[in-house]
Amino acid sequence: MRGSHVAAIARKQFLTLRHDHRSLALMLVAPVLAMLIFGFAFGTSPKHIKVLVVNQDSGATAQNIIDKLDKDKLNLETTMDVDGAKQQVRDGKVVGVLVFPSSFTADSSPKVSISLVGGKPQPSVAPPAGAHAEVYIDTTNQQLSAVVLPELARATQQVAADAGAQSPVSYDTKYAFAKAKDARYIDYFVPGIMAFAITFFTILLTLLAFVSERTSGTMDRLRVSPATEAEIVLGNELAFGIIAAVQGSLILAVALLVYHVLLVGPLWIAVLLVILAAIDAQAIGISISAAAKRESQAVQLIPLIIFPVFLLSGIFVPVASLPGWLQPFSYLLPPTWAIDALRDVFLRGWGMDHVWVNVAVLAGFAVLFTAIAIVGLGRARS
Amino acid sequence: MAAEAVAFNKVVKTYDTFRALDELTFSIHEGELYGLIGPNGAGKTTAIKVLTGLRKASGGDAKVLGYEPQDPAVRPLVGYMPQETALYLDLSVRENLELFGGLYDIKKPALQARIKDLLEFVNLSDWADKVITDLSGGMQHRASLAAALLPKPQLLVLDEPTVGVDPELRATFWARFADMQKDGTTILITTHYMDEAMRCERVGLVNHGKLIAEGSPEALIKHAKVKTLEDAFLKLAGRGLVVPK
Repeated sequence: MRGSHVAAIARKQFLTLRHDHRSLALMLVAPVLAMLIFGFAFGTSPKHIKVLVVNQDSGATAQNIIDKLDKDKLNLETTMDVDGAKQQVRDGKVVGVLVFPSSFTADSSPKVSISLVGGKPQPSVAPPAGAHAEVYIDTTNQQLSAVVLPELARATQQVAADAGAQSPVSYDTKYAFAKAKDARYIDYFVPGIMAFAITFFTILLTLLAFVSERTSGTMDRLRVSPATEAEIVLGNELAFGIIAAVQGSLILAVALLVYHVLLVGPLWIAVLLVILAAIDAQAIGISISAAAKRESQAVQLIPLIIFPVFLLSGIFVPVASLPGWLQPFSYLLPPTWAIDALRDVFLRGWGMDHVWVNVAVLAGFAVLFTAIAIVGLGRARS
Repeated sequence: MAAEAVAFNKVVKTYDTFRALDELTFSIHEGELYGLIGPNGAGKTTAIKVLTGLRKASGGDAKVLGYEPQDPAVRPLVGYMPQETALYLDLSVRENLELFGGLYDIKKPALQARIKDLLEFVNLSDWADKVITDLSGGMQHRASLAAALLPKPQLLVLDEPTVGVDPELRATFWARFADMQKDGTTILITTHYMDEAMRCERVGLVNHGKLIAEGSPEALIKHAKVKTLEDAFLKLAGRGLVVPK
């Protein structure tokens, strides 16, 4: 194994990029763009959900609840036409209608009555009859409808608490990871999309680069030279590892500067995980490149790799929530281990003492896939 | 008798059920200029791939400069110019030569001198810093030849090196091959051009993966009782192995 051969092949990759501006742009701009698009698309909570309010309450309770509703989440419009409002829900124009009846305040208050006992007036208090408001809702879009009822419950509890009502049950919440107590969905989502973007673009670039080397004849010229298969693969790993570190840094910068995601743990471990994910991805790219004779065939292979990674590696749905029979497949995908550890570092603030298993597994995958890539290149000589 | 730089003895290469080389037997003496000719699909390129170690023979015995073709020790001794340009299209001519020079472990000062010499030879000195995609097809071919000559090989393998090259440059190429041969380099060349085959000391006529005739061009023509090598090939193609003395 000659270091100079490995370095020469890695250098070639960078020199190529210097002249090939389109690939350079794909490497640097595309992951950032993907990050921005995914972040905006999945990272923001539903807002401004259109809800109509029909307030017939003769008292003040319904209005108090309406006042407490979060106007950023719900875009409220008042009307007195119940049928017309419901028709708007059926027409898909609004997500729901809240109908507070005229007896809402009366039914939600205790009933005080005075009776004569032994000729003397005696007050007695009966519990509230129970107020009923109607919620007419369109559940075809769960993302929107799922916000309405919890928000209504929260506002109702707030009004009750303000009136001095006490719940017979209370919970005292303490946080295992205090710095992540206000973590948002995007804080959970960004580490996943980071690993996915690095995996996707590294596989794409490596696969196309290797198929192109085969079709153009440069691979034959390399293999006739004293460079060994191991040197060819490791030279590419060195180049793509460095490129992935740059890509990872850019993605991380977007995550921190645009989405202000939480990063509680050490940055260097996050970068290491990204590099390992990239090395795994490029070795996979080299290995599967043998299955494609042309660039057009290589492109057809991409979905076979990307869809399982996208759906099974825990970017959206935690692996533990997948059906039991599917979970082993998740753990065969390197990004699953990268995403898991990245979340631990980002949100829980864990260091190497906790995530070393994931790092070891990713490194193990790197060794395994690199060996497969080297053997695969060697088999082309058979 | 000179030692053999290349010795193929009943070499077989099969791809699935297709027998690309069918007990191909030929040898090239050290310092010889040997031409392998034959129609498309005859097995010339497969023979070269086995010879350069890019493919493993399915059977038979092959030796290159005394080594097994896939022995890494033989690689620094062989220069190879494939049919395709086989250079990195987004690198300049110089960057390509520096890359392959580095892989052949040529030290930097010597490499720069060698690159300068080769660029002058292939008449690309003014284009050295242009990327390959900016060059014409002929220029790309010249750059490819320069890359094959980089390691000062003992055995130079040229797979149709003059396809798409203008007549003037072809003449230049052949003058260089002759010079190299005088310096002791063994050269194996495949070609479709019979006038080029005539310049070889010996030619092997290959068809259906077999050697069907071998000898000096003049001897083959004489033996076939025709006027040209092309006619000799056409006439001999239907017969068994012919080795005119």
